[in-house]
Amino acid sequence: MLECRSCGAGAPVDEHFCPQCSRILALGRHGDYFAFLGLPRKLVVDASELERRFRELSRKFHPDYFYNASPVERLASLERSSYLNDAYRALKNPVTRIEHLLAIEGLPSPKSEEGTAKVPPSLLEEVFALNEELDGIRELRESGADVEALRVRLERARHPIDARREQHERQLEELSARWDNQEGASVAERRATLDALRERLLERNYINNLLAGIEREMTSLAASAGPGAGSRG
Amino acid sequence: MRGLEPEAVGKVVGIDLGTTNSLVAYVENGRPVVIRDESGDALVPSVVSVGDDGTIFVGREGQRRLLSAPSRSVYSVKRFMGRGIEDVRADAGLLPFSVSGAPGGVVRIGVADREFTPPEISAFVLRELKHRAEEHFRKQGEFDFEVDRAVITVPAYFNDAQRTATRDAGRLAGLEVLRIINEPTAASLAYGLDKRNRGTVAVYDLGGGTFDISILKVEDGVFQVLSTNGDTHLGGDDIDRLMVETVLEEIAGPKEQDAATVEAIRRAVIQAKWDLSDVDETEIRVEPSRWVHGGYRKRITRAEFEHMIRPLVDRTLAPCRQALADAGLEPKDIDEAVLVGGSTRIPLVRRLVEELFGRAPHSELNPDEVVALGAAIQADILVSGRREMLLLDVTPLSLGIETMGGVVSKIIMRNSTIPATGSETFTTGVDNQTAVDIHVLQGERELVVDNRSLARFRLRGIPPMPAGLARVQVQFQIDANGILSVTAHELRTDIEQTIEVKPSYGLTDDEVERMLLDSFEHAEADFAARLLIEERNEAESVILATEKTLRAPGFAEIAERDLAPGEQQRIESALAELKAVLGSDNRDLIHDKTHALNDATKHLAEVAMNRSVQAALSGRNVNEM
Repeated sequence: MLECRSCGAGAPVDEHFCPQCSRILALGRHGDYFAFLGLPRKLVVDASELERRFRELSRKFHPDYFYNASPVERLASLERSSYLNDAYRALKNPVTRIEHLLAIEGLPSPKSEEGTAKVPPSLLEEVFALNEELDGIRELRESGADVEALRVRLERARHPIDARREQHERQLEELSARWDNQEGASVAERRATLDALRERLLERNYINNLLAGIEREMTSLAASAGPGAGSRG
Repeated sequence: MRGLEPEAVGKVVGIDLGTTNSLVAYVENGRPVVIRDESGDALVPSVVSVGDDGTIFVGREGQRRLLSAPSRSVYSVKRFMGRGIEDVRADAGLLPFSVSGAPGGVVRIGVADREFTPPEISAFVLRELKHRAEEHFRKQGEFDFEVDRAVITVPAYFNDAQRTATRDAGRLAGLEVLRIINEPTAASLAYGLDKRNRGTVAVYDLGGGTFDISILKVEDGVFQVLSTNGDTHLGGDDIDRLMVETVLEEIAGPKEQDAATVEAIRRAVIQAKWDLSDVDETEIRVEPSRWVHGGYRKRITRAEFEHMIRPLVDRTLAPCRQALADAGLEPKDIDEAVLVGGSTRIPLVRRLVEELFGRAPHSELNPDEVVALGAAIQADILVSGRREMLLLDVTPLSLGIETMGGVVSKIIMRNSTIPATGSETFTTGVDNQTAVDIHVLQGERELVVDNRSLARFRLRGIPPMPAGLARVQVQFQIDANGILSVTAHELRTDIEQTIEVKPSYGLTDDEVERMLLDSFEHAEADFAARLLIEERNEAESVILATEKTLRAPGFAEIAERDLAPGEQQRIESALAELKAVLGSDNRDLIHDKTHALNDATKHLAEVAMNRSVQAALSGRNVNEM
């Protein structure tokens, strides 16, 4: 329940305007972007529908339209607009959309485990191979080996990681579709889907870090290519 | 409740506070119009000059004094807004005024024996615009002609400090700043008024000192900025400076620079730059002076000019590509490209924009005026409650805080729609710690040193508890102006924290208050300066009219036939007396002498007028016969 700060009446938490006096309501402790935008809690979102709702609500809340209103309403407009913008940004992107779903379904954020060095078990093999290859390339680069050849080796090392990443994107899409079709399913089944989504996100973050590591080495190679070529000529 | 609040009665305007020129506009019967002076000129040069007695001259008069009193005149002050001395050293070289300031603090501009901050200089320009608008409304017969509120535009790529400095300038000029909006977005509003269609628009804004690119999506009257990028240090000024330096190199004269000569060269190259937008070849012409004995003349073709400025213009391309990438778009996705800013008159710039977006850009609206028109529309939206249009802008730079090891942790990403919020939770490192220092930054780089320091503050009043137990949530809010505010509370105890924000490159509220008081003290002098200028203009026009009559071919005949003995001598001595006092700062004296000359010429004027009427009548008679 929200309390209207303009007239004191009570209002349901998903309402934006007071049913009594029709003034804009203070935001309160809202946490559900889907409900805020009037969307079902689903992961496949029609982009044009999301945009339409975003524009519609922007027209209702924006501080531009509350310039002459009372301070209470102005603050509510600023809060609701900010929250709307955050919600739109989070739901527009498929990955942040999943993260938000996990959060409102009560799962710990995948981000909370980001810093831990734990390698997801399914990735152990690739991670081991890649790190070995990266170490080797780094050593050769520092001892002045041919940069072009190293670049080719690095490209080759990237392929399996790229493939894993594509596989993950597909898995995320499949799991998202499964979640959307599980409305009538048991709590345990739904929870299993959420856990699987969370696992995939953790792996995805890890894969992205691996790709970033490859990118860094690419940059180092490019940097050492410049002076190296000069000394030979 | 609403009915009890006092209604504001003053006028509302939109202001384009430019690097080179500034303009003021308002909405009349639903249409935005730019306010012009008697000669039809909409541009007020953003030049401020300080007279020997401390009077302030702004606009055309300030611009004139750039030649006669260069060391007492300030231009392009927008480049110094919200900046520190370390940012602007490179700029200060060729400028006639002195620029100083402590490292890490606000820039100070020294003019004669006075020192100003950039917001104070900008406030003089804003006050001039306010006055221009008030004169306009007064002449229209409006009872409440006072202008007390404004929407002011800034480059989209301005950071928090630059926006705050602009808002401070508005306050110092006695204006309530309803909203700070971005120049390219303002321009899109002005264009969107006629074309009510939907589509994706790129606004390319190359002005006197800054470059912006904004990509917008327009649908259902909502102007949603998808991404923005730019360079707050790239514009027509840089082209001028490049040309001035080239000329200075060729004039192998004494090394010490004479401010008046540099200014004369600057004017000459600007004229040549303008010429080359219309013709293929022109001449840079500097009149002989003490410093450049023979004067300077050089022919320059458009091709040579383009070759010279190409590297500068090319610097706009990377921001354009970044903005497209951030919006997730390809050049082919852009339905319309719009040109804004005086520097887009340069044919090379037009060609590059056309090549980049694959379509001829729009320039139907005057690129100098379109931003002010958009600001006026936004001002009208804010106060009138009209809802057919809505502007949704973004924050141009990511906002972050310093974490361990001098690394920035981003809290609000660039191109987030504003208003936007972000939060971060902090804890304590030692037992019973009651305060945490927080450093807020803006920029895209990983390391603190590569980003813009916005503010440092100390979170106080954390309840004493063992290390790591306190959970202080700091909430960052970027409002619709793109300006940041910070609040915090301790989650375990729910205690609100007091935050003292010390802006790195801005003025504190106390400083603004003090300047406001100062400006009231100076307001009288500034008002006197305006009256003096008006009095001089009046005197000049009487002198001109008198001299014209005295030199007219028929004057000898009139003097002989119609003037009393000694009348001509009385006129000539009154004329000489007025001319003698014209240069003085004594307004009353000029006023009296003007009146004296008016009285002395009253009879002559009547006679001359009768003559011309007769001549006109007889002329017509001749024709009719």
